[in-house]
Amino acid sequence: MEIVVFTKRVPVTQEEELRILEDGKAVDLRKLPHRMNDWDNYGVEEAVRMVEKGGGGVTSVAIGDAEADEVLRRAIAMGARDGFLLETEEVLHDPFARATLACNFLKKEKIPFDALFTGVQAEDDQFACFGGMLAAMLKIPYAAQVIGVDSVEKDHLVVRRELEGGLQERVKVSLPCVLSVQSGINEPRYVSIMGVRKASKVERKVFKASNYADNVKSLIEVTKWAYPPKKEGAAMIAGDVNEVCGKLLGILKEKGVYQ
Amino acid sequence: MSAGYVLVVAEVRRGLFEERNLDTIGLGRELGLPVSLLLPENVNGVDELLLDRVLKVSADEGTFLNPLVMVSILVKVFESQGQPDFVLFTHSSSGAECAAYAAGHFSAPLVTDVSGFDQSTGTFFKSYYSDKVFAQFKSTSSPTFLTVRSGSFRENVTRNQAAPAVESVGDIAPAEGRTFLEYVEEAGGAVDITKAEFLLSVGRGIGSKDEIPRYEELARAMRAVLSCSRPVVDKLWLPKERQVGTSGKTVKPKVYLAMAISGAFQHIAGMKDADCIIAINKDPEAPIFQYAHFGIVADVNKLRDKLIETVKGS
Ligand SMILES: Cc1cc2nc3c(=O)[nH]c(=O)nc-3n(C[C@H](O)[C@H](O)[C@H](O)COP(=O)(O)OP(=O)(O)OC[C@H]3O[C@@H](n4cnc5c(N)ncnc54)[C@H](O)[C@@H]3O)c2cc1C
Repeated sequence: MEIVVFTKRVPVTQEEELRILEDGKAVDLRKLPHRMNDWDNYGVEEAVRMVEKGGGGVTSVAIGDAEADEVLRRAIAMGARDGFLLETEEVLHDPFARATLACNFLKKEKIPFDALFTGVQAEDDQFACFGGMLAAMLKIPYAAQVIGVDSVEKDHLVVRRELEGGLQERVKVSLPCVLSVQSGINEPRYVSIMGVRKASKVERKVFKASNYADNVKSLIEVTKWAYPPKKEGAAMIAGDVNEVCGKLLGILKEKGVYQ
Repeated sequence: MSAGYVLVVAEVRRGLFEERNLDTIGLGRELGLPVSLLLPENVNGVDELLLDRVLKVSADEGTFLNPLVMVSILVKVFESQGQPDFVLFTHSSSGAECAAYAAGHFSAPLVTDVSGFDQSTGTFFKSYYSDKVFAQFKSTSSPTFLTVRSGSFRENVTRNQAAPAVESVGDIAPAEGRTFLEYVEEAGGAVDITKAEFLLSVGRGIGSKDEIPRYEELARAMRAVLSCSRPVVDKLWLPKERQVGTSGKTVKPKVYLAMAISGAFQHIAGMKDADCIIAINKDPEAPIFQYAHFGIVADVNKLRDKLIETVKGS
């Protein structure tokens, strides 16, 4: 199988205070560290496992600026054969624009594929719709939140999709298709710094996004960035570790769950 | 061009109308247009008085909630009812899947995970970075597709006096490219976290699997049951039966002590109804502090060690 995996470079924001600039015009991401979107690790791993078993190759594609090359190196270190950067300086907030760009690129460059993988969502914008839009544009089937690939046949796959509350559905999907891969489907392999360094020696190709710009437009626009609506919020317990520990146990006692 | 209504696509699982449909209907009400509900046949638990029109498709739920089929259904509905101004889905596994595919098919705008609507500007709030900031989105054409966050709009539903008109959309052919085979239930485990009165819940921020035994020790010492966020299960630090959230368990303990959990909505949805939520996180801006009753800004592993020492020493 030839599998193309879309991989995204995202800022790491979990422990950072995010600042909104110029009265809501932008979010300041300049000083943040970046890495591969966590969901994409699972996508790359699943694709690599499938070709290790059944033959073929994995191509990792990233849309972004030159720095996005970082995720291609990582994907190659995980076992991808090729890394393609669809280079654009512009931040495309609307996944529709990104999906159109990807669709144009796959068609114009005649990239061969049996399946396209994405992560379920990107950690930064959490849109969870790039793969579905791309599938519809390519007129091929789509399955989202895939948590298991049960069988790989010549012309179809049988996959399990994660629904809510511990329920899954098993569906049959014809090839070629698009799958969005859910975290937990596998255990992504460890990538060492040495591994990434070795991967840097594999040539990655750069394609200018401007060559695939037909109909790449945004149908939704960000008018403003805002901080979350403040709820009542928590009563904060302050003090040194001894004090905090004492106060916490006091609350647990008061609530009757600890003697 | 548009026919002036909101189309709400129902989510149905095993014959039951999911509660989160109330949020899509609620947003429909805020949008101020008549609301039509699209659903398959044989569904229990629909309160038709919440709706202005009901459109029934002759299909079972496994066929209905299939992105390829959904596109054919929508084509038919747009033909018979006219083009809606908005098409609303739940922001769930199948809702987001169908919305993305349909928006791609119709070249229509889509905003996902909508949790707020600003009447004055007509913009939709969408979470970024696990609720650390929100973008306000404006749609530039119609129909606009939206997926709606569970819990966001249900208080807006209103009941009509009279039952709505019910129309049939007719038969829909299954899609060849994708077919439903069966539901699969995840295997249950030995521990039922939904029964616990006191949950000690750990997140990715504890750092590594090596920390787990010490949290187990603390849980034992405090007579709490250990639960966790999804990444902890994905990384195989704890088994799936311990996971709290939309794709795990919904819990309502007396006390939920969240250690190094950021507070993504998929997690919050599974524990927000706990009597008392206490959050410990080293990031004072962590979204979970918005939902907690008590908060502590601290390094969890250090505080854990102190707690073990104190509890065991007493
Ligand atoms: C379809 C779908 C379904 C999902 N279902 C679920 C679900 O059921 N349950 C669920 O939990 N998630 C679910 N998720 C994932 C969810 O979106 C989040 O990614 C997840 O909840 C984050 O888990 P976390 O808070 O443990 O990790 P992170 O978001 O990485 O947060 C870690 C936190 O730890 C803090 N921290 C780090 N180090 C320390 C330290 N030393 N001391 C104190 N604090 C520290 C950080 O400040 C941060 O706030 C789902 C996602 C999708 C797309």
